[in-house]
Amino acid sequence: MALVGNIRDFGLSDFLYLIDRGDKSGTLQLSHLREKVLLCFAQGKLLFAAQCPADQQGELLVQLGLINALQLEQARQQLRAQPQGATLTWVIISRGFASSDQLQHALQQHTEQIVYNLFSWPEGEFRFEQNQPPPPDAPTLPRALSVDRLIIEGVRRIDEWGEIRNRIPSSDLVVRLVALPDQPLPKLQLSAEEWRVMARINGSYTLAEIARKNQRSEFDICRIVYGFLTTGLVEVGGKRTADDQSAIPVELPRIKRALVDRIINRLKSI
Amino acid sequence: MHQKSARGDAVQTVKMVVSGAVNAGKTQFIKAISEIEVVSTERRATDATRQVKEATTVAMDFGRIAIADDLVLHLFGTPGQKRFDFMWEILAEGMLGLIVLVDSTRPETFRETNRIIDYFISQRDIAYVIAANKQDRPNAWSPDELRLALRQPSHVKVLPCVASRRESVKQVLLELLYIIQERSEL
Repeated sequence: MALVGNIRDFGLSDFLYLIDRGDKSGTLQLSHLREKVLLCFAQGKLLFAAQCPADQQGELLVQLGLINALQLEQARQQLRAQPQGATLTWVIISRGFASSDQLQHALQQHTEQIVYNLFSWPEGEFRFEQNQPPPPDAPTLPRALSVDRLIIEGVRRIDEWGEIRNRIPSSDLVVRLVALPDQPLPKLQLSAEEWRVMARINGSYTLAEIARKNQRSEFDICRIVYGFLTTGLVEVGGKRTADDQSAIPVELPRIKRALVDRIINRLKSI
Repeated sequence: MHQKSARGDAVQTVKMVVSGAVNAGKTQFIKAISEIEVVSTERRATDATRQVKEATTVAMDFGRIAIADDLVLHLFGTPGQKRFDFMWEILAEGMLGLIVLVDSTRPETFRETNRIIDYFISQRDIAYVIAANKQDRPNAWSPDELRLALRQPSHVKVLPCVASRRESVKQVLLELLYIIQERSEL
């Protein structure tokens, strides 16, 4: 029998706790406004998460750059010939298209992002079908995730997100280095990961795009940028305009001579 | 890359990258010309770089020169250690030009300098110059000797440089800009 309810009444962390402590297997469907999420569990551990219907299938692995379309097709063909219980992930690893660690790393980030986002839902219908396995083509995690760790981190992020969202209301906003600061910048000690984010900040990429390019969650990127904001190093702008869209540096920029002349003249005067 | 200046005009930023082996002088180079306090990460080195200097740049440096109210030049220094090579590709995105600094007194770094040059120019048609740093030292190789040692063709500018002197840094940047100027659109 399905367990049905609303996370407004029975909180997400409570429900996940129930799955964890009950070593339950099955599929949890959640919906809020237009969003639909699918979580699949095996013996109390999270095996798979999907934003429906976009990443329920193997195409997600192509989107994440783990395999190419041809490899996906070959893996699917082999999967159809396998006995029941074989997974797409297992086939991909056994064929050597991607290693277990590569799949785990990318799918875990993807899965965690989906789960952590659920914690921001104020309400949402849920339906848990016990013993319902993931879809046959689902890119499941090679090693299932412990749910209690996800609960702890998810709850922590609710608090932190609240602070971050006061200054970064959306991940669709463009972030840029402050061109002409009013105050001298403080001396900063940045980690390699922070530099990695900073190097992507160009006034054209949105926070979500920086997250994708750095293969980190939006929360991770927003948290780092929040730190930059407090130092006055960067500022968050609006959503990208058509003008900014054209300014995304794909390769070397085409530059006008007049602009180079201005830089030369300025440098000469220093 | 646009934001608003004080007058409400769009502010354009352009980027130059300063690269080179460990201890080539990248931090000093950017410090000498930047109009802001250079944002840099100086930490105790944990690998072979400790033999070179006690604290070395583990990530990169960032400096800035305001060209006008609506135009800003950013200078990014790349990390010296191999384990930070992943940064190069990110930094190279949309860069206007590249300065490769080489410590003229340490021939043991020339091979690494070549690796850096090869990486950047093999990926893209890039405007670059080589700055032969520490030319004020008695044992410095001359720019001509360095050109031969680095196997650079005659059209590549190998410029004398002392990264601690603003005027010297300025000249290197100007020489790079002259190359960019020639390649720019009217």
